[in-house]
Amino acid sequence: MAELSFPLPDLGEGLIEATVLEWLVAPGDQVERNQPLVEVETTKSAVELPSPQAGKVVRIHGGPGEKINVGEPLIVFEVPDDTAGIVGTVPKEEAPKRRVRLSAVLDED
Amino acid sequence: MSGRHTGEQHQHTVEGTDPQLYVNVVDPQDDAGLRPVLLLHGFSTSSKLNWEDTGWITALTQAGRRVIAVDLPGHGRSGAPEDRDSYSPSRIRADLLQIAFDAGARPLRDGDPASGLDVIGYSLGSRLAWEFGATQHELVHRLVLGGPNVADPLAAFDLPAAQRYLADGTPIADDSTAGLLKMAQLLPSNNIFALLSLIEAIKDEPFDPAEAVPPMPMLLVAGEKDERAASMPELAALGSKAGALVEQLVLPGRNHTNAVTSRAFKQGAIEFLGV
Amino acid sequence: MSSPTLESGTATTAAATVTMSMQQALNRALDEVLAENPKAVIFGEDCGRLGGVFRITDGLQARHGAQRVFDTPLAESGILGMSVGLAMAGFHPIPEVQFDGFAYPAINQIVCQIARMNYRSRGTLPMPITLRVPSFGGIRAPEHHGESLEALFAHVPGLKVVSPSNPHEAYHLLKHAATRPDPVIFMEPKSRYWQKGEVDIANPGSPEGAKVMREGRHLTLVAWGAMVARCLQVAELAAEDGIEIEVLDLRWLKPIDAAALAASVGKTRRAVVVHEAPLTSGLGAEVAQLITQACFDTLKAPVERVTGFDVPYPSGDLEDEYIPNIDRILFGIQRVLEYKRG
Repeated sequence: MAELSFPLPDLGEGLIEATVLEWLVAPGDQVERNQPLVEVETTKSAVELPSPQAGKVVRIHGGPGEKINVGEPLIVFEVPDDTAGIVGTVPKEEAPKRRVRLSAVLDED
Repeated sequence: MSGRHTGEQHQHTVEGTDPQLYVNVVDPQDDAGLRPVLLLHGFSTSSKLNWEDTGWITALTQAGRRVIAVDLPGHGRSGAPEDRDSYSPSRIRADLLQIAFDAGARPLRDGDPASGLDVIGYSLGSRLAWEFGATQHELVHRLVLGGPNVADPLAAFDLPAAQRYLADGTPIADDSTAGLLKMAQLLPSNNIFALLSLIEAIKDEPFDPAEAVPPMPMLLVAGEKDERAASMPELAALGSKAGALVEQLVLPGRNHTNAVTSRAFKQGAIEFLGV
Repeated sequence: MSSPTLESGTATTAAATVTMSMQQALNRALDEVLAENPKAVIFGEDCGRLGGVFRITDGLQARHGAQRVFDTPLAESGILGMSVGLAMAGFHPIPEVQFDGFAYPAINQIVCQIARMNYRSRGTLPMPITLRVPSFGGIRAPEHHGESLEALFAHVPGLKVVSPSNPHEAYHLLKHAATRPDPVIFMEPKSRYWQKGEVDIANPGSPEGAKVMREGRHLTLVAWGAMVARCLQVAELAAEDGIEIEVLDLRWLKPIDAAALAASVGKTRRAVVVHEAPLTSGLGAEVAQLITQACFDTLKAPVERVTGFDVPYPSGDLEDEYIPNIDRILFGIQRVLEYKRG
């Protein structure tokens, strides 16, 4: 298994940091894509951040009341080694199947 | 995205002028068969900031609820009409009623859980929801009022001081006024002059919760550290006295700004409205 | 980045043979190129902080700095245009176009600038650019993510085109390409990124020309990229039927190793060329002509082509019908075996 770290995303409007209000997931949790991960508060508003992907939570960064800068680690997921890219799926390695048989009388000249 | 309609989809206008209100209707993937939920955001925010980015729309649709989110005039993606009438709370309530009907809400009928409308408000949106419930008995089923207040802090807003500040930078003496204006200026989507029109209209029609009290069940929710909602028990007493079922929920450690994302708030609201 | 997702193999000494995926092999090759050549720079969409959508550049920014491994805007013409300027200034750019189909917006920079700048400047402005393009289909991705552009690139004078078929080839061909003074289009078969194979770090073998991947005496299958592995499977099945097939990995699609084609088909006297790209004006036609030119007198049958169809690359659900499968390749072989001179 490999680890995949996600930083605090750019929250727009020139915001450079956010304060953790409450984590909605904990290390060990299996989360779905778009499942709410954490509530954070900026100088302008409070937001709930959805999970960018499915996976098992390995680590979370920042307890309630702590500040995190945009771009700094927020959460780390455990993902399978052969996770596909952002697009597509990993092809399955299958034993070759055939329906066609070859037949030929080969003249060995 | 299936079942999602955005934009100014209401076809009817009240008093003949288009309020240019932005409406976002989101259908759930698995409909619980319950009435739609109207969401009313606070001053100087928007349905996106107050309800979408905070996870409310996801939470409600996952609970099987159809959501109608509206941007108030001068806020979010709504227009900023020139005429001051468009900003008066009574006119806004009339427009909301029309929007709710256009989005499919129908008067309450005994034994039909899909009839009627639930309303969730926050801050200024709670004031509008209180009045909306008080005047629309036959439509509104239940209310959830977040960060509510017996008085409207906007009514005490020092409008001439704000206008002087915007014109030539003269400092604002009143802290509440200065704070509200700063908050309003933080968001590029706010039309600052439309927001001042709204404040002016609110001064003309200040909030008087005792004048008309909603008779339907209501859940009042506020952060423990929310000074603006310190008077929540007074509102609760008004509701109880008028015979309404009133529940209160205090969110530990939360203030007026950050109570809105609270899971306990969302779960409390979904359970309270899920009947 | 705190995500060490790609550890380069199981051994650390350069002398050993290590087992790794093509992803890991490419990542290790780039890491070494950056360490060995201070003028090498890597950039593209998501190449920096994220480490690439396929993790090929994973960890490189952390190790070599954001000056040498960095993200670009979503503008392929800009990525390749910047490569031209960097090459003129003495750098060795290793840009990435995130997916094959995203190369189209940069065709002007590739064809009109990169390919002919050396020629135009009479050799005073060489373009040592290694353009990595995750290529071909097989991962059920949407439109623009499964195309085979080798014939387009091979047609352009001034470009070299290469495609590895396994981790060993990926590691050594990329290291070789990234030290060439010429522009090289490096087409990575994205459906093979995750398959592991042995990489002999110390013994690359020749980095030029084609390579016989399996010897046989009855027929030559010519392929490149992801189709090489499929042709090796077909050769294994054909052996059950008593047919011994030679599999030639063309590797370099420009220049094509005509001598290797002549040597292999001169021996087997029968050839089938397999590619994912559409049939018409595909590189299979060029291969067939080179074989015919060299082996006309001894060929037992016309060279067969088993290819994709003359349609836009289909959606993921139809991919298995489009890409040459084992049965279609076997049918192609059978047609050649049955051919009778009339």
